[in-house]
Amino acid sequence: MTENILNEMNLIKPAMLIPLLPLLGFFITSLFGKQLKHASGWIASLAILVPFICSAYIFMNTDAATSFEVPIFDWIAFGKFSIPFAFLIDPLSILMLLVVTGIGFLIHIYSIGYMHHDEGFSRFFSYLNLFVFFMLLLVMGNNYLVMFIGWEGVGLCSYLLIGFWFKNQSYNDAAKKAFIMNRIGDLGFLLGMFFLMMMFGSLEYKTIFSKASEIPVGAGLIVITTLLLFVGAMGKSAQIPLYTWLPDAMAGPTPVSALIHAATMVTAGIYLITRSHVLFALAPFTSDIILIVGVATALFASIIGLKQNDIKKVLAYSTVSQLGFMFAALGVGAYKTAMFHVLTHAFFKALLFLGSGSVIHAMGGEQDIRKMGGLRKALPITNFTFLIGTLAISGVPLFAGFFSKDEILANVFVHSNLFFAVLVLTSIITSIYMFRVYFLTFSGEFRGTDEQKHHLHESPATITIPLIILAVLSTVGGFLGLPSVFHATHKLNAYLGNVVPSLSEHEVSHNFEYILMGSLTAIVFIIIFAVFNYFISKKNMPEANEEVMNPVGRFIYNKYYVDEFYNAVFVRPVMLLSDIFLVLIDKLIIDLFVNALAWLAISLGKGARLIQTGNTGFYVFAMVISMIVLLALQFII
Amino acid sequence: MNTLIYVSCLGFFCMIAEILNQRKLIIPVLVLALAVIFGLNLSDWNHGQTYFNNMVQVDNFSVAFSGLAIFITLLLFILASEFYAASDTHISDYSAIIIFILCGALMMFNFNNLAMLFIGIETLSISLYVMAGSRRFEVKSNEAGFKYFLMGSFMSGFLLFGIALIYGASGTFYLDKIYQYTQTNSAILPVTFHVGAVLIVFAMLFKTSSAPFHFWAPDVYEGSPTLITAMMSTLVKVAAFAAFYRLISHTFLYVFPSVETVIAISAVLTVSIGNFIALNQTNFKRLLAYSGISHAGYLLLAIISLRGNTESSLLYYAVGYSVSTLAAFSVAMLVFKAAGNENIDALNGLGKKNPLMAATLTMAMLSLAGIPPFAGFFGKYYIFSEAMKNGYFYLVLVAIINSIIGVFYYFKPILAMYGQPANEIEVKTNYANNLVLWVCLALSLALGLFPDLIVGLL
Repeated sequence: MTENILNEMNLIKPAMLIPLLPLLGFFITSLFGKQLKHASGWIASLAILVPFICSAYIFMNTDAATSFEVPIFDWIAFGKFSIPFAFLIDPLSILMLLVVTGIGFLIHIYSIGYMHHDEGFSRFFSYLNLFVFFMLLLVMGNNYLVMFIGWEGVGLCSYLLIGFWFKNQSYNDAAKKAFIMNRIGDLGFLLGMFFLMMMFGSLEYKTIFSKASEIPVGAGLIVITTLLLFVGAMGKSAQIPLYTWLPDAMAGPTPVSALIHAATMVTAGIYLITRSHVLFALAPFTSDIILIVGVATALFASIIGLKQNDIKKVLAYSTVSQLGFMFAALGVGAYKTAMFHVLTHAFFKALLFLGSGSVIHAMGGEQDIRKMGGLRKALPITNFTFLIGTLAISGVPLFAGFFSKDEILANVFVHSNLFFAVLVLTSIITSIYMFRVYFLTFSGEFRGTDEQKHHLHESPATITIPLIILAVLSTVGGFLGLPSVFHATHKLNAYLGNVVPSLSEHEVSHNFEYILMGSLTAIVFIIIFAVFNYFISKKNMPEANEEVMNPVGRFIYNKYYVDEFYNAVFVRPVMLLSDIFLVLIDKLIIDLFVNALAWLAISLGKGARLIQTGNTGFYVFAMVISMIVLLALQFII
Repeated sequence: MNTLIYVSCLGFFCMIAEILNQRKLIIPVLVLALAVIFGLNLSDWNHGQTYFNNMVQVDNFSVAFSGLAIFITLLLFILASEFYAASDTHISDYSAIIIFILCGALMMFNFNNLAMLFIGIETLSISLYVMAGSRRFEVKSNEAGFKYFLMGSFMSGFLLFGIALIYGASGTFYLDKIYQYTQTNSAILPVTFHVGAVLIVFAMLFKTSSAPFHFWAPDVYEGSPTLITAMMSTLVKVAAFAAFYRLISHTFLYVFPSVETVIAISAVLTVSIGNFIALNQTNFKRLLAYSGISHAGYLLLAIISLRGNTESSLLYYAVGYSVSTLAAFSVAMLVFKAAGNENIDALNGLGKKNPLMAATLTMAMLSLAGIPPFAGFFGKYYIFSEAMKNGYFYLVLVAIINSIIGVFYYFKPILAMYGQPANEIEVKTNYANNLVLWVCLALSLALGLFPDLIVGLL
């Protein structure tokens, strides 16, 4: 016991260092960016590497039973109510720390190569460091308020980075859209915190979770609270109906898409729910809603992915769909499985985005897969790593995605056959659109301009090395969670076991596991062959424009017209209302009133000036009169 | 008490330096000596004593305000090195007179006798009449000195008359004895005592440039040399208010109701006149004069609610106000010297030309307007909340409305500096001035962020 405490004392300093360094990096790169020039990229990377080493150090010196708090200062304290600014170090936060700093570091290195020619080089890295700082706060906080600071902070950084090339108005609009949609979710989170305050009188995890056992399952307040928290998660993790911002967020530079909009920030919603699993376990209704939303999002987003021609857009919809998978897992109470998929998804989706970035870099900014093709020869490393990513996301055995996705499917199957079937369908669609992208980009003949062909080149080492590392992780990452049919220990489940309890009753039979794996693997290989046959052997191309599509295709191509629907139902009425208020209330009533007051004040001032004649005689006279009046007021009346 | 003696010696030093032909030594020696005296003065903290048969009483209140006065004078001398650099002669005379103004102010902080108060006020005023008219060849300066002298001596008469009436009623000049007299005879105080108290209050209102006795202020502020204007609106105003506070809290507590109405009416008139007339000013010095008048009105709120022990609020406000005003004047001095006039236009485009000066002036204006996080905001906050506690709701309401109006004219210079295209004027800076700017900037921010530095003192 004492040994444990001693050990924790030694870990407090590294734990404090973890969020501090990215913040420091942010200040250095933003204040001295001009002087540092390209050195700022390396400084920013170092500011993430050291926290990664600290996280790894903490990981190695703790075990699954670890859970200790790192107090920083008493933040808010009045009356009985107090919120400390403190960190919680337990297996769940350590896992997230490793993902955020590890992948964050790789993407920083990648960005040094990717953003090399950009005039906003230092600004980019300062935002990136700031993002990592807030993301670390989000996962390290020991209470909901610190998590909320991180939550808002990453939203801000996401806004800044989506609109990074702010000279392009449509990018700014995308940034605004992401920010506003997130704000809707944040409101849910905020209200959820108010309810937590009301019910438990605290926002600290340990207080809330220990008091939660007194609440009966399915109590009205807990259902409302968890629903509100889920609304927060919906916004940040792009679930129906708040998902439309994520595809638009691809306006940001590609490393941003990889780090923020695939690997880390968008998984914050899953982290929130996993962290609060005690509460969600008390609200079966909320869990059902999560399952439905998750499955629906997974399916609808993957269908849109089939018809997109922008390489990053496909990946974006794929991210939305994969997040739907994770929510489906959360909905059936398989929190550890969701975290497992967060982990593997972080590896292969970051890899895919970075790979697409490498392609875009080589193509001189071109993102349309119809104008690519045959890049296999010019970009061998990118080709190979992208293929690994595609295999991993499609669920080909031995690659990371296979194990985590299989676990989700098995868990959902125990819960409901219908949702299981939908997710299997989604999984099939996923393989189709991913191989469509892969083959159209890397196989066949080059379809771009001659000039582009001339410039095709493999990316520099700062880009390819992160790709290779991520490819390795996407290959071996799945072995952290081997299913029980292989008679191996599920390392991740064991590690998270103390934070998140197991669901022992939801075990599927081994025979079913064999059938599931076998059939899914067979289907994936059939799909690979079919897609290759369709696009490469028969040289079919996606339609050049929407006029030549059939109605269903056009409907999917236009993303079910959801954006148009939101515009008509929410945006325009709000704009109209704002116009009415502007003209009627603001200009006509408030401005008039305020201007009249100002005019009155100025005129009074002009009048009062007249008494300042400059004539000493008058002054003395006025003073004497004043004295007489005041004395009279005092003593006569 | 020792502080007063040391400072007086400095005045003699200035005159001797003139005789010995060591004029260049004067300002460095004064700055150094004042810094030392500032430290010596602090040694009296918590070691209050009485001197001269109880005529002078040193206590924490007087030590704190003496410290502030010495500090202001120190900064003024740093500015003076540049201000008087061009003018050939009289540096020793000017320095000596400024030192005597400080002596008068010090007396006004620790008097325990009405005669001592009168001597203090007269030492300060007479020196000031001379300094106001010290630009001998400028009509405006002459006019300022003469106007100030005429009205000041007129009001000194009332002060003296008030003191005489009180002596007639109570038979003593000592504050503590007058207080005892009012305590024992509170039911049967003769009307002459009340009238005497009100007459003294009139004189104090004049010294603090409160309406309706404020008429001298804009004309005199505008006409005097800028350095002296800065002194009038900082050191002299602080001295007058400290003396006013000391007088009423030590002497007039039992006749407070009879002076309360006068002060309340004056407070309302002062904030309103100060702010409303300032709205239409284009002359920066005059604008600061009216700003000074309106701040006198806010400070009157601290006087009127002194039953709540508002010493700390008064001190905090005085420090915040002095620092901001000094910052504004130290920018104004250089800009107006370069421009040759004193209009707000002269500041056009200063934000680009000299960021430090523009930032300091902006800080000063925001602080005077009472915008956080600067000292001016908390100063107003403490004074207003004290007044609310003492039940002066309507006074506070008027004061708040006026401080909103005030924001308009405080933003005029800021808009000119950042919103207007730069003019041709080349402003030359120097180390001394920059030092003062940095000190003011740092102090105003520090006081705004950590008001406890001063608020808990008294």
